[in-house]
Amino acid sequence: MAETWNPKIVGFLCNWCCYAGADMAGTSRMKYPPNIRIIRVMCSSRINAEMVIKAFQMGADAVFIGGCHPGDCHYVDGNYRTQKRIAVLRRLLEHLGIDPRRLRLEWVSAAEGEKFAQTMDEFAKEVAELGPSPLAALQREVL
Amino acid sequence: MKYDNILTTCPFCGCGCKYYIQVVDGVAKSVLPCKEDPISEGHLCIKGWNAIDFVYSKERLTTPLIKENGAFREATWDEAYGLIASKFKEIKARDGAKAFGFFSSAKTTNEENYLMQKLARGVIVTNNVDHCARLCHASTVAGLAASFGSGAMTNSIPEVEDVDCFLITGSNTTEQHPLIGSRIYKAKEKGAKVILVDPRSIQLASIADIHLRQKPGTDVAWLNGLMHVIIKEGIADEEFIEQRTENYGEFKAEVMKYTPERVEEITGIPKADLIAAARMFANAEAASIIYSMGITQHTTGVDNVKSCANLAMLTGNLGKPSTGVNPLRGQNNVQGACDLGALPNVFPGYQAVTVPENREKFEKAWNMAEHIPESIGLTVVEMLNAAHDGALKCLYIMGENPMISDPDITHVREALDALEFLVVQDLFITETAEHADVILPGTSFLEKDGTFTGTDRRVQRIRKAIEPLGNARPDWEILCDVAKHLGSDQFVYASPKEIQDEVASLTPLYGGVTYERLDKEGYLQWPCPNAEHPGTVFLHNGKFSRGLGHFFPVSYKPPAEEPDKDYPLILTTGRILFHFHTGTMTRCSPKLNKEVPTGYVEIHPSDAEAMGIADGDLVQVSTRRGTIQIPAYVTRKVPEKTVFIPFHFKECAANMLTNPALDPIAKIPEFKVCACKVEALGESS
Amino acid sequence: MEQELKAHLKKLMASGDVAGIIALKSERGMAKPYLFADASELECLCLTPKYPMASVARLLLDEDGAARFAIVCRGCDERALRELAKRHQVDLDRLVIVGIPCDEEMARECACPEPFPSVVAVGTKLEQWEAEDIGAAYRAMELDEKLAFWKHQLEKCNKCYGCRNACPMCFCKDCELENALWVKHGRLPPEFPIYHMIRAFHLAGKCIACGECQRACPSDIPLMVLNTLLREDMEELFGYVSGTGADAENPLYTKEEMQ
Repeated sequence: MAETWNPKIVGFLCNWCCYAGADMAGTSRMKYPPNIRIIRVMCSSRINAEMVIKAFQMGADAVFIGGCHPGDCHYVDGNYRTQKRIAVLRRLLEHLGIDPRRLRLEWVSAAEGEKFAQTMDEFAKEVAELGPSPLAALQREVL
Repeated sequence: MKYDNILTTCPFCGCGCKYYIQVVDGVAKSVLPCKEDPISEGHLCIKGWNAIDFVYSKERLTTPLIKENGAFREATWDEAYGLIASKFKEIKARDGAKAFGFFSSAKTTNEENYLMQKLARGVIVTNNVDHCARLCHASTVAGLAASFGSGAMTNSIPEVEDVDCFLITGSNTTEQHPLIGSRIYKAKEKGAKVILVDPRSIQLASIADIHLRQKPGTDVAWLNGLMHVIIKEGIADEEFIEQRTENYGEFKAEVMKYTPERVEEITGIPKADLIAAARMFANAEAASIIYSMGITQHTTGVDNVKSCANLAMLTGNLGKPSTGVNPLRGQNNVQGACDLGALPNVFPGYQAVTVPENREKFEKAWNMAEHIPESIGLTVVEMLNAAHDGALKCLYIMGENPMISDPDITHVREALDALEFLVVQDLFITETAEHADVILPGTSFLEKDGTFTGTDRRVQRIRKAIEPLGNARPDWEILCDVAKHLGSDQFVYASPKEIQDEVASLTPLYGGVTYERLDKEGYLQWPCPNAEHPGTVFLHNGKFSRGLGHFFPVSYKPPAEEPDKDYPLILTTGRILFHFHTGTMTRCSPKLNKEVPTGYVEIHPSDAEAMGIADGDLVQVSTRRGTIQIPAYVTRKVPEKTVFIPFHFKECAANMLTNPALDPIAKIPEFKVCACKVEALGESS
Repeated sequence: MEQELKAHLKKLMASGDVAGIIALKSERGMAKPYLFADASELECLCLTPKYPMASVARLLLDEDGAARFAIVCRGCDERALRELAKRHQVDLDRLVIVGIPCDEEMARECACPEPFPSVVAVGTKLEQWEAEDIGAAYRAMELDEKLAFWKHQLEKCNKCYGCRNACPMCFCKDCELENALWVKHGRLPPEFPIYHMIRAFHLAGKCIACGECQRACPSDIPLMVLNTLLREDMEELFGYVSGTGADAENPLYTKEEMQ
């Protein structure tokens, strides 16, 4: 099983910036690892703590959240809320014994296809180094 | 505005948590844990926290109902009492007292149980009075009374924290007695060892040092096996056996037949694990046996209980703090209902009806012209059988729901329908009440005064926090009214306090229990024979109730029904944390019902796979008694070839399936083992 | 202190300024929250053990839309009332806070960050007080140790919801802990760790360190460790300490960029 393990990353991308950026990476045929499962949301601030924790609970090895650059939020201040929320959530993950590097927040604009691909590349490598999420293993034990 | 907190006792399990009811202007708002209560210490389980929800349910019965032409109509109390009196008189004149049966209730107060048996014995003059203890701890009452002389939990709940080694068997403690379960965790944190013997991987399995998963129905075998190892290794408490017990030789000869190899064959428990558990238990300083329905609800229930008693005596774990044989009683007042004589063989305080002096004493106290029968009355299951056969014509059921709680429901329905006259007194129109001729609206624990006796013999007050809803009346008042309508002048009480005073005067066990003392001291644990007696924290200190503890040789007998070609699986049943018994209260409590809105059958993944069943699929479970359709919960909680169904749910009632085979002594049905089959229906639920 | 407080409250009652006083009453040797409406009853007033009085105030203010009450408050009760007021759950204008300090024993038992209210009406507040650093042992652990620790602790959970029910800051009508989208209904123990993580996260910037959750837990789960660590995080990340004055807002609810 360890040999076939590939990091599972759940990505919540904001419709207006990061998702468009991912789209651009795709249409520009930029290569990035296939580990991310993208979920499009209208704003990164739609993502609450429950959703992130649930993703881990359901076996994600990492969670990526992509929003608009500061000042660019389609809803004016959504990304600021995301920023603060994720900062606290990362602390909470750490307190529970889950490496906070497994939760990453980035600003990616609609024009930054390359940044998106690069970030995914980096993140997939980082998560691969971190190994499988210990929560994913615990979930398999239960039933 | 008036805001107050009324201290009362929880109406669910036998732990006996006291808590406050926050009342604003006569309306109960919520439960507030009481930080100074010795049992709950400011903690509660989910049922306790939500205990007021059912009281205000829209489904509550608030006026008497009389059945006419197959349908219920609202009636006045006078109409209802008048009808009951005329039918009772008619049936008694025609068929005699033996045609009557009374189901008392482990949910009602001590005072109400006392009145119910007084009504049966003192007014109708029959010993046909029983209650649902028959279905839970009848084996305990009989077994421990035989072994020790007293059929109750030997030690107390707070002592659980200081146990050094637990043997927990047939008790899913964290779900069924959460505030005892929490103390097992506390003891574990202090270094206690935990031996769990349970076919299912219950929550406590995560802290068990040893988990033995026996084949259901083989308890005598593994208990004898444990004792075999203890005797063989010379780690029994010789001094205790010598000084405090009798009949050791005969007992020893029997258990020496149960070698670990033989036990492994019968129970499936690996030999090495059995030996390790025996050593762990026998070598502990203070070892405590905690058990519940997994031990009692068998055709060998009394044998199982006696075996637990043997093990405690063999290792000298009696008459000391944090030891003992500790049957956990499942209902708030099932201990009290037994104590107050809602049993066919005893008056209050376990005074046998077969003893002439006892009968004379009560006949005199109740100013009776007739004589109470010297023979013991019928049990719950026997009364239903007698109704089925036409010998029992009239049944008065208070706060019980045999249409869900009793084995083989089809048979129960036929029995109820065969009755000439059925009175049901309850909070709701239960599945049982639907078959009644008259339904009397009783009241919940919030609407009346009284006492409950918790599992550790702890008598505590319940206090009226709100007025009865609608036309509902406190159950003790209803019983008094019925007796008065039948012509008795022996049911005149201004309040439950006066009933307790009468109980104390006739019942040595409760002789020192008064409302004044309960108010001042918070609780009293029986035996409490007189006003100066402080009550009893643990039993059998220095001497057993019967003098010497008696070792009963017990041999293994298989369950009444075992799996075969047609019914290849074992079905076992039980309760879950979020619901209580027949669901009458918890299923109309939104927070509780939301957690588990319907029943399910737990089935092992390998069995499920073999049958093509996925988690959540609707499946059909059948036994020789009946068939139900129920969602599957595919889980490793159950072992292979065994399925588990909680019995709370009428739409998929486990007791359509269970086997009414009885223990020969305690007459308890074998709810814990029968043969069944499971079939996929190809639908998801 | 008790006698002095009774005298103080009698005066307050005589002033006619309040419809009643929310405080603890001793009955049959046990304390219970009570609304004193008559001076003669004040003889039964008592001070311990602690009960979540802010929750009682919220209930009574809701029940009576106009009345003004006095409330005997410890440091934690006052912090709770302030935080509730920020979320529009209590109207501080309808409460007269009668502050009392905790003694050293009580303060230590709660590891209270500030065992006295802003204004002490009766009694003397602790001069020298430093709360025990209950997060220290956990901060020093490795990640896998932390996970194992919480796995063990949270497996004991009885899903009573007592931590939430006892919390003076948990006032939501619909609670996410009961939302089956996040936490499967009817499972015991509740799924690890989402149930307890949701609760901890929702208290970030709200927890006023009264310790009621931990005291309500039948399984002795050290919930205050998580809450304390997050209180520290909120201060470190945003300079916010919950329970402080009305001008300080929980940054998780504001629209400003993180500094």
